[in-house]
Order: sequence, then C-alpha cells, then structure tokens
Amino acid sequence: MFESRGTGLALTLPAAVFAAVLFILPVCILLSEAFRAGDGWSLVGYTEFFASDRNRTVFFRTFKLGILVTAVSAVVGYAAAFAIIGLPSTARGRIFGLVILPLMISPVARTYAWLVILGRTGFVNKALMSVGLTDEPFRILFTETAVFIGLLQLFMPLMIVSLVSAMENMPEDAVPAARVLGANWLQVFWKVILPLTREGLVIGGTLVFTGSLTAYITPAILGGSKVLMLETLLYQRVTVANDFVSASVIAMILIVMSFSVNLLLRRMATARRRR
Amino acid sequence: MRKSLMLAGACSLALTAVASAQDRTLTISVYSFSQDEFKELVYEPFEAICGCKIVVETGNSIERLAKIEANREDPVVDMAVISTHDALTAARKGLLQPIDVTQVPNHAKLYDIAKDPLGDHYGIGYTFYATSIVYRTDKVQVDSWADLLSPELAGNVALPDITTTGAGPTLHMIGKALGDTDTSLKTPIGEVAKHADDIVTFYVRSSQLAQLMQQEEVWAAPVGRFAWGRFKNNGLPMAWATPKEGQTGGMNVMIMTKDNGNEELAYEFMDYWLSTEVQTRLAESLIDSPANSEVVVSEEVAANLTYGADTVATLDLLAPDVIVDNRDSWLELWNSTVVN
Repeated sequence: MFESRGTGLALTLPAAVFAAVLFILPVCILLSEAFRAGDGWSLVGYTEFFASDRNRTVFFRTFKLGILVTAVSAVVGYAAAFAIIGLPSTARGRIFGLVILPLMISPVARTYAWLVILGRTGFVNKALMSVGLTDEPFRILFTETAVFIGLLQLFMPLMIVSLVSAMENMPEDAVPAARVLGANWLQVFWKVILPLTREGLVIGGTLVFTGSLTAYITPAILGGSKVLMLETLLYQRVTVANDFVSASVIAMILIVMSFSVNLLLRRMATARRRR
Repeated sequence: MRKSLMLAGACSLALTAVASAQDRTLTISVYSFSQDEFKELVYEPFEAICGCKIVVETGNSIERLAKIEANREDPVVDMAVISTHDALTAARKGLLQPIDVTQVPNHAKLYDIAKDPLGDHYGIGYTFYATSIVYRTDKVQVDSWADLLSPELAGNVALPDITTTGAGPTLHMIGKALGDTDTSLKTPIGEVAKHADDIVTFYVRSSQLAQLMQQEEVWAAPVGRFAWGRFKNNGLPMAWATPKEGQTGGMNVMIMTKDNGNEELAYEFMDYWLSTEVQTRLAESLIDSPANSEVVVSEEVAANLTYGADTVATLDLLAPDVIVDNRDSWLELWNSTVVN
C-alpha cells in the first residue's frame, strides 16, 4: 500500500507512542502492584485471593456468566446475522441500525430499563401472571438471572455486528452450493458458515466476554452485593478498603481471563482451519 | 518622547496588573454534582471579587484522593471538599495541612459539630446531611431503625450497599436500636445477614432506590436528606421517619493540601464559601444544607434540607476515625455473612 515499509511505520508511530505512554505504561505500573509484597516480587496476592472460598465462588460466578453470555450471544447472533444478510439492502441497513442503536444509549439507562421490566410489577411478571403461569410474581431482579439478561442485552449487539461483517465477506453462492450438494442446515452451518466466519466469531466472542467481565454498573444495579462479581469485588476493595493491591490482583485476573478466552477462541478457529 | 515613554510605562503597568490577576489561580477539587449551580453561585462571584481564576477538578472521592496523593510532592490541587472519613484518610497519609482558622473569619459562625470534625483543624465542615428512613405511609409505620428488619417489611425493604457512605451510619443506627453500639457492628451486620432474604437489594445509588420505590418493589429504606426530593413527589404516600433512636447522617469538609504554596487565596475562598451570603444562596437553591448557623431560609426550603440547630443537635454521626479504622473489617464481615 505504501511506497516503503518505513512510511507505514512512521504513520503508525504517533498512535503507537500515544497508546504506549498513556495506556500501556500506566496499566503496567498499576498492575505491577499485583506482584509485589514488601520490597520484593511475589505471587502471594494471588494465593491469598484463591485461598478464600468466597473469592473462588465470585471468580467462578464471573467466569460462568461471561461464558454463558458469550455462548448465548453467539447462538442468537448467528441466527440474527444470517437473517440480516439475507435482507434487501435497504431493509438490511434499517435492521442493522436497530441492532446497533442500543450501543448509542448509556449502559446506565439500559440497565435502569431492566429494573422496570424485571420488577415484581414489571412487564415480565405481569405477562407470566396474566397467562396463569404463576400466581405470585417471581423474584427476578437481584439474581444471577437478572445480571445475565442485563449483560446479554448490553453486549449481544457487538457479536451480531461482528458476525454480520464476517458473513458479508462470505462468497454469495457458498450456502446455496452446499444446499444443492445435499447438505442439511446443520451441516451448512458447521462445515460452511462457521469456518468462513470464524474471525468474526473470535472478535465478537472476545468483545462480549471481555465486556461481560468488566461491566460494573449492570451487575451492581441488577445483582447488587447479593450477586457479587469480580468487578463489584474490585470496586469494594478500592472504595471501602482503599486496597489497591488486592484490586490490582483482581484486575490482573480479569485481564488473564480475557486473554485466555481470546486465545481459546483463536485456537478453536485455527484448529478448524487446519482440519 | 517623554509622553511616549509615560504611555509605554502606563501600558506596561496595566498589562502587569492584568497578568498578576491571571496569575492568581486557585485549583479546587470538588464533587461532580451541581457544578453549573456552583459555578454561578460560588466560583464566578468569587472570581469577580478576588480577580483570580478558579480551576475546577471533579470526580469521585477515590479518583480525587488518588490524584492528590500522586501529586503530593508538587500539589496541583490547593483545596478540596470531601467526606470527613476520606479527609481523615488523606490527613493520616500526610497529604493535608491544618487549616489556620484565624484566616477564615466565617469559621466562627459554623455549628459546633462543623468547626473541627477531624481534630487539629484538618478539615472544616461546610455542609452536612441527615440520614433517616423514607417509607410508604399506606403500607407501614416506621418508628425505629429496627423496623427495617421487622416482619411487616420483609420482602419490601432495601438497605444501602456496604460500598456506599450510607452503610456504616445505617448499620450503626440498627445496632443502636438493638441495644449494641459497638463499633465492630457485629450485631447489626449479623442481624442483616439473618434477614438477607427479606431485603430486596442493597442499593448503590439513590436514583436506583427511587426507581424501586416508584415501581412499588420497596416500601422503606434509609436515605440521605439530599435525596428526599426524589421520593416526596413520586405520587405515592411517602414520609420521612423520625426514629426514636434519632437520625444519623454525614458531613463534608473543606481541606487544604500540604505545602501547596497558595494558602492565602485558598483561605479567602474557604471564607467566602462559608459566608452567610453564599451558604444562604446554596441552601435556597437546595444544593447544600448550611453549616453556617446564621443562615435563615423559608420553611419550604428548610423542609428539603438538614437545617436548624435543633435538627443538627439530634444527628448521631459516626466519627470519621471509627469509619476509617473499621470499614475494612465491616467489609470482611459483610462479605462473609450477608453476601452469597
């Protein structure tokens, strides 16, 4: 694209310096606290963290909800993306606009909307009671279910956007060709669509999982301290205990979890490519 | 030639005067809320009087404290407003200097509890707020802090989350109602743990609680007086309880960063903020309850504030050192008993 490799590097230099000085370096300094004990380096912060039953429960809950939100986003996202790319271009633009519209609304506002919808006098309970499924309203708010719903709605658009983008790059006749050759829809998905859209799945999956791990306001408002997550635990350590070392340990754990899932998704994609 | 020289000299003097006015800059660190009103009611009038410029830094307490600590060798912020317990944390870290109250004449007009809440004049109270229980009068009657855990409110009560400033004072008052005022808060936290399933949620924002009250999820909850306006006009029969154990609350203070080199201007500004004129303006705009005892406001305004000597005398405030010394153990106890 450029006449010389140097031109390309020179153009990326300002952004690289900006990111290195104002983001990567401060983050490294902050996270280095997580490996310090007294005057030396140590992993004691991590051993102490995982020695606590409560911390382990919080860790597994956070991981479980992150995986669940990512998996459901992928399933629903594929169906939605497949439907969207099949539409005429005008309708596709409109539907795509509706999908990304929630991303333009503050997560706080979206979370407050769930308070109304999931409440005992909210839409969900009224609907369940009106069709006779229950006599008493269910307690949905301030449970893991509420946090799951809130996170799913918050991040699923990112998965759909990634998958639509990936599907738009698929050869137009790949699916019809597979169908003509006798593949059923499951085979079409597994052997044609999935391999051709794996990059979109990796990007979408990483965005959704990382977002679910790091969202604070949704678990705080829809779950409260009854459903403690790593991000709410981190907030507690900073605001109440003024303990930046423990908070750095938790931040490091969240970063490692995000990278691990990204790596896992990449490996899955590569494995399928090699097959 | 002589005329030209005189003209040049006059211009130079005028420019120097303008430059020195602009050189007088005060950097303050304040809470983010109501900044448009503060600008109109406090900052701009003060700038007009002092011929100086005020630079405002905002954010939550943690961010602002971290910034003051990071710049401790060469302070950027000259004065800050913050809660009493955060101020005490900063004082213990050596980030503050005692305030010379002789430089702040309006200090003498403050209610006694606001004059030296941290000791050694490390902070001056400029506003405080009562915390009591808001409740639905058509559903329950609340006369005691213990009523929050009564069978009548089971499944319809919310408490402040342990991360909020309202949690410690609320637990202290529940303990008082149960006959135990030990600062470990073991009794009230244990009692809350026993009733954890009866508590709708532990809220983190008063706006969240207002929403839950509005949709009738919650009938009663402890709230700071500053948020009362969110509840009293929500179309439901609401009341502000006067529990027999009294009301609790909190106080915010002004602090002076250590060795900032701008003490003179900071004292001028503190004195201006504490003046009867400014405290009255802030009270009438329902921004801050006055700590200046000479402030007089209408009954209508007073009803929305924590106002008057009688109200102030009934406040049972947790001492800042009690909060700072115990909040870590409260958090541990809370997480191991109340939280799943």
